[in-house]
Amino acid sequence: MLNVAGEISGDSWGIFAFLCAALCNLPAVPALNGTDELGAGQSIQKTYDLTRYLEHQLRTLAGTYLNYLGPPFNEPDFNPPRLARAERVPSATVDFDLWRGLTDNARLAANYRAYSRLLCYLRGLDGQAGTAELRHSLGHFCSSLQGLVVSIAGVMSSLGYPLPAGTAAGTPAPAGASASPNDFLKKMDDFWLLKELQTWLWRSAKDFNRLKKKVPPAVVTLRLEARGF
Amino acid sequence: MKCGSMDWDAAVTWTANGTDIDDSRLNGSYLVLRNVDLMQSGQYSCYEGSSWHLKYQTYLRVGTPPKEPVLMCRSNNYPKGFYCSWHLPSPTYIPNSFNISVIHGTREMVCEKDIFPKNRCHIRYLQLFSTVKYKVTLTVTNALGKNSTTLTFDEFTIVKPDPPENVVAKPVPNNPRRLEVAWQNPSSWPDPESFPLKFFLRYRPLILDQWQHVELSDGTSHTITDAYAGKEYIIQVAAKDNDIGTWSDWSVAVHATPWMEEPKHLTTEAQVTETTSTSTSSFMPPPTTKICDKGAVVGSGAVAVCWTAGLVLAAYGVLFI
Repeated sequence: MLNVAGEISGDSWGIFAFLCAALCNLPAVPALNGTDELGAGQSIQKTYDLTRYLEHQLRTLAGTYLNYLGPPFNEPDFNPPRLARAERVPSATVDFDLWRGLTDNARLAANYRAYSRLLCYLRGLDGQAGTAELRHSLGHFCSSLQGLVVSIAGVMSSLGYPLPAGTAAGTPAPAGASASPNDFLKKMDDFWLLKELQTWLWRSAKDFNRLKKKVPPAVVTLRLEARGF
Repeated sequence: MKCGSMDWDAAVTWTANGTDIDDSRLNGSYLVLRNVDLMQSGQYSCYEGSSWHLKYQTYLRVGTPPKEPVLMCRSNNYPKGFYCSWHLPSPTYIPNSFNISVIHGTREMVCEKDIFPKNRCHIRYLQLFSTVKYKVTLTVTNALGKNSTTLTFDEFTIVKPDPPENVVAKPVPNNPRRLEVAWQNPSSWPDPESFPLKFFLRYRPLILDQWQHVELSDGTSHTITDAYAGKEYIIQVAAKDNDIGTWSDWSVAVHATPWMEEPKHLTTEAQVTETTSTSTSSFMPPPTTKICDKGAVVGSGAVAVCWTAGLVLAAYGVLFI
């Protein structure tokens, strides 16, 4: 992939990857060969790069948002018990053997479903949250996350898998659906949303690593040649 | 200390490790030790005054209650699990027992103690990608008290691989500025296919302090192309999971010098050095051979050492003339 003398910063590399995904919106078929598998290989790599970029973005965003929520949410040792209500947010936690045994289809579908719902909830975050800068960052992150959902959809279609039913990417949550009468509980929901999002992004990096290995070696060689190695 | 069943006013003699104890320390037949320190550990015996019958004997161990232990948890075999290891910052001099508890959300997990090294236990992950933190509490207890410490962490933050293994650096024939470095994934990392590692290589010539760095996202080899010709290099590699956790410690350092062309004139110079050194050592013994001459040690071994010392120093002298 990248063999550099430590000069290219993660940010510019990530932004580049994101722009690719956002502008293309669908898996880009390179000028070499129009096979579906080759397209999938490129898409998987792009999706992987996107998850890394988003994870990086989220670190800053979560820090700012948790500060807006105030203590104890922004304390590093904050370790609350999981309330039943928080189960609405899709969890990345999975049994070890189960995760390893997932088929490509199941793996991709789990990611697709999770990010679609996480995007919904994220859009439902307090519209009046904090400063204009925070709202802007949230909006920017939502766009990036939308890009990720679309990218995953692209991988699935290029591999011939159907998109999971009942998940409409980008539908905002109905106003008041996630609002709870208790301000503290609402903040807890926000806390867990961000936590699950962060964990999903870590998990996706591993999911897409596994998927990358499934791409046939011939395709990998072509990809390397394209990069001029 | 009470002398067994003896009365308070009985005449007794106390000994510590066989040495009689002065009467000033006695309160009747009781031995009183104040401001006990570590030196006072040992075998204490009490003998009846006249008959010298042993009435009581005990082994006194002087120690301290435990200070707060130092606990560390790390996952060098992600995603299999993690291990925790601990130690006391200062010794207590008496036996201690350790108890470790690991709580994950509502579940208590069992940390299996390792046989070697001691003071270490390991846990297998049942679930991956957990949002709930792990809480590890270590309690150390001894006869004088107890102390404990707690660590709370997320699954991802403790991931730190072992350093890369079998780092090898070789010169590249006919390339005076290149060095080929190769290494292996740490053997403790169970699944480099699904959990690939990235690497950080650092190198510098021995004569300089500043390191050069290269980060490599895949592959277990790299060719340095900007080495200073003829200079010996020191090279190290570190590893990190591609996405999570922290960098490993640096690997064992390897040394290598880039390929150099054999200069032909060196052979004749060596011959000249040899002939001059043999002549100088017989006419001008360097100062340090005085040690050999003065020394009481006589024998062929000592003479050989003197000879070699003379030769080396003479050669050195010739080089600097």
